Amino acid sequence: MSKNHVISYLLIAPAAIYMLLFVGYPLIYNMILSFQNMDLSTLNSGEVLFVGFENYRAIFQEEAFHIALRNTLVYTFVSILFQFIVGFLLALFFANKFKGSDGLRGFVMIAWLIPQTITALLFTFMLGSTEGIINQILLGTGLINESIGFLSNPNIALFSIIAVNVWIGIPFNMLLISTGLSNLPDDVYEAASIEGASNLQQIFYITLPMLKPVLLVVIMLGFIYTFKVFDLVFIMTGGGPINATEVLSTVAYRYSFVNFDFGLGAAAANILFIILFLISLVYLMMTRTEDVK
Amino acid sequence: MKKRKEMIQLIIGIIIVSLYLFPFIWMVLTSFKTQIEIFQTPPTLLPKEWSLAGYQSILNEGVLLYLKNSLIIAGGAALISIFLSVPCAYGLAKSKIKGKSMFLLIFLASQLFPATVLLTPLFLFFNRIGILNTYLAPILATSLGGIPFSVLMLRPFFQSIPKEIEEASTIDGCGSFQTFVKIILPVSFPSIAVCGAISFFFAWGDLIYSITFNRNQSLWPMTAGIYNAIGRFGIQWDNLMAFATLSTLPVILLFILLQKQIIKGLTAGAVK
Repeated sequence: MSKNHVISYLLIAPAAIYMLLFVGYPLIYNMILSFQNMDLSTLNSGEVLFVGFENYRAIFQEEAFHIALRNTLVYTFVSILFQFIVGFLLALFFANKFKGSDGLRGFVMIAWLIPQTITALLFTFMLGSTEGIINQILLGTGLINESIGFLSNPNIALFSIIAVNVWIGIPFNMLLISTGLSNLPDDVYEAASIEGASNLQQIFYITLPMLKPVLLVVIMLGFIYTFKVFDLVFIMTGGGPINATEVLSTVAYRYSFVNFDFGLGAAAANILFIILFLISLVYLMMTRTEDVK
Repeated sequence: MKKRKEMIQLIIGIIIVSLYLFPFIWMVLTSFKTQIEIFQTPPTLLPKEWSLAGYQSILNEGVLLYLKNSLIIAGGAALISIFLSVPCAYGLAKSKIKGKSMFLLIFLASQLFPATVLLTPLFLFFNRIGILNTYLAPILATSLGGIPFSVLMLRPFFQSIPKEIEEASTIDGCGSFQTFVKIILPVSFPSIAVCGAISFFFAWGDLIYSITFNRNQSLWPMTAGIYNAIGRFGIQWDNLMAFATLSTLPVILLFILLQKQIIKGLTAGAVK
């Protein structure tokens, strides 16, 4: 091995080892935990036993877990759909280079910057039934007669949180799609205009097909970022009312850090992990093929 | 003609962005209202008189301690992230070692797994090595977002630095370390600053690691402080919105400072 190679390894290794230690090892440890009866008493006594699939069996018998699994999927798909549509429209609008367009686009990023805990609190305030501005506006304009329990009505609460998540996700979608748009060649559009294609036709027959690789990455990343939702639900409803907004990560958190049944928590987290892992494989394969080019 | 079209687009743009950011504007405005005005019907847009009562009462509640903790945790995470990812990205950009793609895969993959999956095993791991209830626990955990992001963003940047510059400096008798410090670091300073800023954002927003690893509330950051305050202040929205505004201010200032580079960096890191 030449001297240069040794130096390269010395440069690269610390970060790689750090990530393996704090991400790789916990992932494996989590998998082992999910087959153990680790809770507060066994943690202290050291009498941890392997219990096979007992934790998984217990989880699948809990109604809250079924609700959480379904909610997480609904949450993810509805969020991505709307973030994507609004993000795409905004990106199209800002693709018209006008004076101040970059600055305005920068402002939109503020929503992405605000810590999710803060956003959750802010919307809890805005969606409140008496003092909340949204109910005030709806009542004031006569659109509704009595205030809506955005977060207290079990049929609505999940969709209220989804709406907040859409708000958070718009800037990131817009930004990535904007970059994709700016990399498209102009001459195709010129040709299409000469041929008499309308704006809408250009979007459906030129923009969307040509953007396909970027759009796939945006949707994949959206899935990965959305599926792990925790802060919003934790602050806005805590999973309630009556489990109506429970998601996988809040369930896993509750098992581990409210009930202190770490084995059960690990099993729930592991299910979250496996779903994310499968999606990530698709994402990794897509980015790998990009990288080779 | 073109001028007029641009003018109309600008006006439409301002309307869209103001509507979109209304929640944020509402947060800041509410933080300056009195509790009475907040509960008034019909609601007011601008505060009738700008009140600092909300800010006053969170100062009395020790908000500055939370602010200090947030700065320590996010600053620590950003520093770790830079110290590990800059050399790593440079090594990955410039060398042709075996297993390079495997290293890249480690970083790509590790950025995909969220706090909620790592939380339980990290808690037990940190318990065993005795760092629960210290700043170190959330610092280590929150740096895990920034490192892979920075490595993946900086590598293509280092690759784009022309070889000739480095070769010239080697001929002038600089070793590779000197070349790195004297030539590479100065030109890449803006990109490194962006990585630091984004790592800082990731860590600044964390709630779950701090409240799980640290039972000791005097180590809690702003986000955890506000979680706590929700219970204490109930519906005293002037206090809560002042808290929220103050929590958001540092990241917005940092963003404004580095806006252009951050936007470039974010897209490079994610699309690549």
